[in-house]
Amino acid sequence: MSPRDPKLPLFENADETVAAIHQGDVDAVVVMHSLEGPQVILLHGAEEPYRVLVERMSDGALTTGPDGVILYVNDRLCEQTGYPSARLVGRDLASLFEGEPPTLVPEVTAEASLLRNDNDAMPVAVWSRPISIGDTTATLVRLTDLSIRRRAEQIAAAERFARSVLEQSTEAIVVLSPDGHITHASGPAEQLAWRPPIGCLFSEAFSLEASTNEDAGTRARFSAESLDTILATKPFHGVEVKVRGDGHAKPTFLLSAGPLVDEHRANVGSIVTLTDITERKRAEEQQATLVAELNHRVKNILAIVQSVAAQTLRSSGSLENFSDAFAGRLKALAIAHDVLTETRWVGIGLSELLAAVLAPFRSPGGTRVSISGPAILLPARTVVPLSMVLNEMTTNATKYGALSTPNGTVGITWLVTGGSEKSVELIWLERGGPEVTGVARNGFGTKLIDHVIRHDLDGSTRIDFDPAGARWTIVFSVSSLTAGQGAAAAPATV
Amino acid sequence: MTETNGYNLRLYVAGQTPKSIAAIANLKKICEQHLPGRYEIEIIDLMKDPALAVRHQIVAIPTLIRQLPEPLKRIIGDLSNTEKVLVGLDIRPT
Repeated sequence: MSPRDPKLPLFENADETVAAIHQGDVDAVVVMHSLEGPQVILLHGAEEPYRVLVERMSDGALTTGPDGVILYVNDRLCEQTGYPSARLVGRDLASLFEGEPPTLVPEVTAEASLLRNDNDAMPVAVWSRPISIGDTTATLVRLTDLSIRRRAEQIAAAERFARSVLEQSTEAIVVLSPDGHITHASGPAEQLAWRPPIGCLFSEAFSLEASTNEDAGTRARFSAESLDTILATKPFHGVEVKVRGDGHAKPTFLLSAGPLVDEHRANVGSIVTLTDITERKRAEEQQATLVAELNHRVKNILAIVQSVAAQTLRSSGSLENFSDAFAGRLKALAIAHDVLTETRWVGIGLSELLAAVLAPFRSPGGTRVSISGPAILLPARTVVPLSMVLNEMTTNATKYGALSTPNGTVGITWLVTGGSEKSVELIWLERGGPEVTGVARNGFGTKLIDHVIRHDLDGSTRIDFDPAGARWTIVFSVSSLTAGQGAAAAPATV
Repeated sequence: MTETNGYNLRLYVAGQTPKSIAAIANLKKICEQHLPGRYEIEIIDLMKDPALAVRHQIVAIPTLIRQLPEPLKRIIGDLSNTEKVLVGLDIRPT
């Protein structure tokens, strides 16, 4: 309690005080209580309910005079600003705010930033209305703290943002609480889970197994308890897993988890991502298969080239003959490989293969070589040997048969025979060439044709020497045929 | 503010009773008009701390105390009578 000011004589103005009370110049008096010290006694008026309401309201409140000077502040406003009332009363209202002060319009709420003594600012809603206190015209101003509402709005906005990200995500993403329960899940994650995932432990919603058998160490980590703990508490990157679903297919995923932190960088859970890498795995496997296949084929080709070179050498009388024959056979091999590459090793129609092999002998609008037969897709395995055979037959016709004379023709026709094991019977008929005397051409070319058809095409060959021209009959098996195999194709002439 | 011409005023009020509110508003207006730049007002709300009434023996509220210049003077009421306030505080028109 402050001591009495010694400069002030006791009861100097006693008469004046009594007169003032009688005249109604005061509305409160101080009485000395023997135990509790001085007490303020209000001389109540009609405004008492309003006064109590303003003093005790949970919002900040102040009263200003007509000139905007603060006449009164309640305790809540002192808490909001961090200043005692003595520092606020007497100041201009505008000085309480950061930046532009709010324009007071009766009964209208505006927003502003209330300055605090810690140099921070508090967002407030400012509402006002004019009042009369005794003879004084004043304005009651209420300041409502918007911090909590703003914070709630920020949280709601962040929640909407996060939900939007999850909803738009094409990957399976789930958010785990620190105890491992799923709090959010993207659409793909919900589809991947075998039960509604929200509220479940990760292991309850997703049934995982290691992608590869040899990764025993990883498999051991997929016991439900350890997985849930690891995902919720530790960064976890790049482990391939398969997810067991309803169907037989088990897509492969890359499982990753990372911490979820709040604005204070405190760990509030984790984000688990399951990235579908099924297609990537399939592509990797296909690439590995193709590399192995390519390796195999290159070795086969080298073996064929070696064999063809050796046999061509044995049957050639001169280096020039060897050169011509070997070049022709290599060219047939090259054509076959071009065809296979273009068709991605699926195979090619017999008509198209014949057109490619016989291209050097075609003439625009010419009728020397005709091709006619049902559409057949040759399996890839038959393309190289058949190209070699057709090259030998073309070479023979060019050297000794119908294609060695200006008016000779070659007609190529074929049929499809057999039941489940289909075979092709191909007729190569030469006409208009030199008269055939019946002497067999028994060079390497003929041997090669016979050998290849028997061993590589699992077929047979026969040659008839009609005086009008040679007739080759070749039968070989094909394991797959095109649709419409029985229909006659339009005759083609090359 | 200097001791030779400065006014150090202390107004005792009781929350926002009508007389308290009126006294603050009136005092501010009078000082701005008659003592511009030469006054300092301290407002004491006895509702918040009644013990502060002892120092200046406050019995009725509102009460204005002139602490400086000496001698100490006291005016009781809502200060709505400007002439009475000017005389009571011994303020000469500037």
